[in-house]
Amino acid sequence: MADIALTENLAAVADRAAVVRRFGMRDAGFRWLTRLAALLVVLVFAGVIWSLVMGAMPSIKHYGWSFVTTEAWNPVTEKFGALASIYGTLVTSFLAMLIAVPVGIGIAIFLTEICPRPLRRPIGIAIELLAGIPSIIYGIWGLFVFAPEFQQTVEPWLIDLLGNVPLVRALFEGPPYGTGIFTASFILSIMVLPFISAVTRDVFETVPPMLKEAAYGLGCTTWEVMWRVVLPFTRSGVVGGAMLALGRALGETMAVTFVIGNSHHIHTSLLSPGTSISATIANEFAEAVGDLYISSLIELGLILFAITFIVLASAQLMLRTLERRSGGAS
Amino acid sequence: MNMALYTRRKAFNRMFLVLSVLAAVFGLIWLAFILGELCWRGLEGMSSRVFTEMTPAGDADGGLLNAIVGSVMMSSVAVVAGTPIGLLAGTYLAEYGRHGRLAFVVRFVNDILLSAPSIIVGLFVYEFVVVPTHGFSGWAGTVALGVIVIPVVVRTTENMLLLVPNGLREAAAALGAPRSSVIRAVTWRAARAGIVTGVLLAIARISGETAPLLFTALNNQFWSTDMSGWMPNLPMAIFQYANSAYDNLHRLAWAGALLITATVLSLSVAARLLERKRS
Amino acid sequence: MDAAVKDKVKVDIRDLSFYYGATKALKNITMPLHDRQVTAFIGPSGCGKSTLLRILNRIYELYPRQRAEGEVMLDGQNILSSGTDINLLRSRVGMVFQKPTPFPMTIYDNIAFGIKLYERMPRSELDGRIEDALQRAALWSEVKDKLKDSGLSLSGGQQQRLCIARTVATKPEVILLDEPCSALDPISTAKIEELIDELSEEYTIVIVTHNMQQASRTSDYTAFMYLGELVEYGTTEKIFTAPENKRTEQYITGRFG
Repeated sequence: MADIALTENLAAVADRAAVVRRFGMRDAGFRWLTRLAALLVVLVFAGVIWSLVMGAMPSIKHYGWSFVTTEAWNPVTEKFGALASIYGTLVTSFLAMLIAVPVGIGIAIFLTEICPRPLRRPIGIAIELLAGIPSIIYGIWGLFVFAPEFQQTVEPWLIDLLGNVPLVRALFEGPPYGTGIFTASFILSIMVLPFISAVTRDVFETVPPMLKEAAYGLGCTTWEVMWRVVLPFTRSGVVGGAMLALGRALGETMAVTFVIGNSHHIHTSLLSPGTSISATIANEFAEAVGDLYISSLIELGLILFAITFIVLASAQLMLRTLERRSGGAS
Repeated sequence: MNMALYTRRKAFNRMFLVLSVLAAVFGLIWLAFILGELCWRGLEGMSSRVFTEMTPAGDADGGLLNAIVGSVMMSSVAVVAGTPIGLLAGTYLAEYGRHGRLAFVVRFVNDILLSAPSIIVGLFVYEFVVVPTHGFSGWAGTVALGVIVIPVVVRTTENMLLLVPNGLREAAAALGAPRSSVIRAVTWRAARAGIVTGVLLAIARISGETAPLLFTALNNQFWSTDMSGWMPNLPMAIFQYANSAYDNLHRLAWAGALLITATVLSLSVAARLLERKRS
Repeated sequence: MDAAVKDKVKVDIRDLSFYYGATKALKNITMPLHDRQVTAFIGPSGCGKSTLLRILNRIYELYPRQRAEGEVMLDGQNILSSGTDINLLRSRVGMVFQKPTPFPMTIYDNIAFGIKLYERMPRSELDGRIEDALQRAALWSEVKDKLKDSGLSLSGGQQQRLCIARTVATKPEVILLDEPCSALDPISTAKIEELIDELSEEYTIVIVTHNMQQASRTSDYTAFMYLGELVEYGTTEKIFTAPENKRTEQYITGRFG
């Protein structure tokens, strides 16, 4: 009886062995497929760098370092310098972060500590949803609503108020244009605001409740708990989130293109028109004629990519640090 | 007990709380203001003609039909092509690569692509597709959108697969299922809601993308379903009409903007509901 | 000599050691597992009983840096040798886990999944196999009207019996049970113990358990493990009535562990 069962078993095992051989092929095939897809992601990335470098080559060869140190931008004489665009990108992003980071952290603190409980979820969700709104919406709002209003009310007031104060005068002189560096910065700050709030709130929620309770238990005020416990614990995450937002601000195209004014001159006044790397590319690329012109625009893209790469890579580094720590703590 | 110190601490705390409430109010008011304005002006420009007529030139009347169709076509193809690649790459990261060197590189590169400026993607596709094919085309626009879809799907797929308990993988493997069957029949299924969420978010992301289309698909004022030619699309129509001098075009731009926002918001809400169902 | 001892040996573990990275978690284990008998692994937490179980179908290989040394002979073939196909091995040696692990699919598909891996058959035959498996797991009467419902909709005890049905359906020769009742209520536990008893007529069963009564009720042989070593192995009757080792006696009488 046992012998019969055994032979039956052996037959079944032989059957299965045939199936298993097929498995081996399928398994290896699937594994390779996923690997190929993963490699494709790397290939796209390499392709981006390659295309930017190759496209920028004529311009790099022709202008050398003077490309990044001159302000001239003249398609007719083919004199191209990126300084005004780089300046605009850096200044608008810097100003945008100056507004958005404190306000965004404020909103996150409001949401985690102050907001009445029933409102936390709806407001939190609203903010996350706003983070997904396409930037072109912010752009046309800036162009049609904010800029005219700003030109008629806030700008004249700012010019009156600060236009005669020494030192800051230079930043606020000139006629009220409506569009310009400041307007672009402001729109950018509103655009990245929901993003910063959402990331910061998520990061705050990684703080173990025990830690906060312990601090409150010592008699700490909310401010002290935030400043002494929550922020030190989440520092790398908050900074990482802000860097991600900065990466967005630096490369943002549509929210800026509408309202920056598109002038290739650097003015000290924040109220005067300027341009940014992305705005220059967006406005001129499709109509650019001549290899050198196109190549110069691509070199602008390469510079933008290099800047954002550094910012995003450091953001990743900081967020990973937090992830590892909160992962280790739990 | 030093009451003076305590009073000072309390005052400081109060100031801090007031400031963060003010920050919240400030931020939320602007955001509400933008949404309100968008609804108001968008609804003003909305009419049945928006969905039935072609995009106009100059101060003629018209709608956005061809732009809507063009956008839907390019986005659909981009999602249909980009999702499997993202899904497989995300699967590699979560199931096979995990701690390997290739996985580390892919993860890093993917996160950079995820937040890299979309205009850069436009330049890349210009060099790789537009130049070799000698012209702007719907296909080029589609490739650009696809390049944006992939990293979004990779990221969510990996995250969602990592949430699948290892017990489920063990249980399937213990039945004698090879790795590929375990993944396809069990882990993918367990993470399905999360993966679909990722795809919805990817669609939301590309439906408003303008910058990568500027010099890939370009735009087209006429009805066209020929993907190898210039392709009409909604974001570009908004961009051009907003920059035009005519009031009727401005109204159309607002209507288009409202349309895009409504699409994006409903996709995100759907994604959110799906995510809640899962947990 | 005891009659049971003369039974055929299904799995022979010889000088088996196991490493997590550099940590030696099992130390030179040698023991037989008898055909169509229930063997229980007992011992305090961390003694290596689950680790030993997870070697028998090489499920540990899903994770990096884990390694087994020695021999595990299944019907005279060493399953640890590199020539062994692990998928085939796992189809012969089934496993039920501590927490119920229904797949996110219907009750029907949960069971069909394992069958369809290795066998092609018409629908009617598949239906029969599924009913048979559910009958054996004593679940059929509870689920026969809702085979298209999700496996996740069942109660914890039902889920665990579904997992047993799923394992039985693939016609394994050995079934490994890793604390199968630790997440269940007493009534479900009793049902599963009854089930183990019935299954032992056809399958070689190994059960890891924390529960002394469960070990004594369900098993024919018992192995007591401590700190990665096999302290004592023998018939359950002998281990629970006349243990030779002092530690074994202390453990089964509840004085440590």
